Amino acid sequence: MLNNLLRLGSTALVCGVLASAAHADKLQDVLDRGHLIAGTGSTNAPWHFMNESNELVGFDVDMLRLIAKGLFDDPDAIEFINQSGDARIPNLATDKVDVTCQFMTVTAGRAQQVEFTVPYYREGVGLMMMADGDYADYEALKAAGSGVTVSVLQNVYAEDMVHAALPEAKVDQYDSVDLIYQALNSGRADAAATDQSSLSWFMKQNPDRYADAGYGWNPQTYSCAVKPGDQRWLNFVNSVLHEAMTGVEFNTYAASFEGWFGVKLDPPKIGFPIEFK
Amino acid sequence: MDILQTLDAIWLARMPILHGLGNTILISLLSILMGTILGVVVGLLLTYGIGLVRLIVRLYSDFLRGTPVFVLILACFYILSVVGIQLSAFQAGVFALTLFCSSHVGEIVRGSLQAIPTGQTEAAKSIGLTFFGTFFSVLLPQALRMILPTWVNTATEIVKASTLLSIIGVVELLLSVQQVISRTYLSLELYFFAGFVFFLVNFTIEKVGRFVERKVALPT
Repeated sequence: MLNNLLRLGSTALVCGVLASAAHADKLQDVLDRGHLIAGTGSTNAPWHFMNESNELVGFDVDMLRLIAKGLFDDPDAIEFINQSGDARIPNLATDKVDVTCQFMTVTAGRAQQVEFTVPYYREGVGLMMMADGDYADYEALKAAGSGVTVSVLQNVYAEDMVHAALPEAKVDQYDSVDLIYQALNSGRADAAATDQSSLSWFMKQNPDRYADAGYGWNPQTYSCAVKPGDQRWLNFVNSVLHEAMTGVEFNTYAASFEGWFGVKLDPPKIGFPIEFK
Repeated sequence: MDILQTLDAIWLARMPILHGLGNTILISLLSILMGTILGVVVGLLLTYGIGLVRLIVRLYSDFLRGTPVFVLILACFYILSVVGIQLSAFQAGVFALTLFCSSHVGEIVRGSLQAIPTGQTEAAKSIGLTFFGTFFSVLLPQALRMILPTWVNTATEIVKASTLLSIIGVVELLLSVQQVISRTYLSLELYFFAGFVFFLVNFTIEKVGRFVERKVALPT
């Protein structure tokens, strides 16, 4: 009885594996379907959020639209699956999405569960100050030693994170992003420390009010991710992202980058490919 | 806390927030309705079921009540899709809340039926009522009065549990408010607003419950 069950189970397993092997051509599946099913969130500006017209926008969304454009020559041939951060890996594993671009930090642990594409952004922690404040830049903050107060999101590592850049600074922890900005506005803090992308976006929203201290640390890489085991699909998404940063879609990528982070990118140097420099 | 700025942000996002509220109400209504129907069956089987049937229903009820709703929602969304049943996030969420609701309603029904003295059943039998006659004319009217207050309590629990559907991407009230927060950074103000709206929904349910309770109460 048990043997029969085991045999039945293993037959089903083999059939399943064969079936999935025969079907492991995501690129063709997506082309046949006629639109891309893309996973991303909806609650993190400037990555993926609802604008005032209630449309999903952001840098992640632009990357996904580039993939749709590469597939169908139509950046709108896309269906967004709204997912929380926790749902990124399960939704790939259960084929609920074709690809996920959701400010996903590349780690060795995650790389065992999904396949990461080439990176499309390097995140880090930055320091934002009032434009008319007492300190000119990072060097001035560092020189002021314990006279400086830094507001930061509450976290187990918050103190260590700030001290990695400003060893003597006083650290004030707050519950939410709006409160760390509020602390800066009200003069309770001399600088706010959080993700560089959040700071860039906030400074772009409030031009001339704030200044970037010009120092970034704690690097982490953001990549899109696909379900493991389909090299052709991974290659395709890689090609799209790579050419967005270095090739034919550079202008689209650069416009998006400037739109969300307020930074104008220099076009890649013509001639010898920069990747091999 | 700038009240005008907060009201302005809410007014600007009124359509998505109303849509989120509509989803919350729809999810809650469907789950409570289907959960109650299924729950009454569970309750009857727990009380009158025999042997194996009763054992299976007992396991069903204990398992569902002993599992966090959060886990139940994830299981309905992911495990069902692994075995080949593709439910949308909305459907999977409603399914999970229905199961959760049914197990609670089942226990409420069982408790109420068992609280009615056995003398009543015996009296009903002695005047020649069948099982169904006894149930519908004697037991159910009494049980309903006892069920109502705890049932209202379960209904409000379901409304609150519906916020967990945001984890699988259903844009209910809480997620629609979080979307506004990510754009405006008004986190404390808008979470307070969301909490207040949830309170209004549950307060309404409670008031309706009280009203029905008064209507069906025996004259003293």
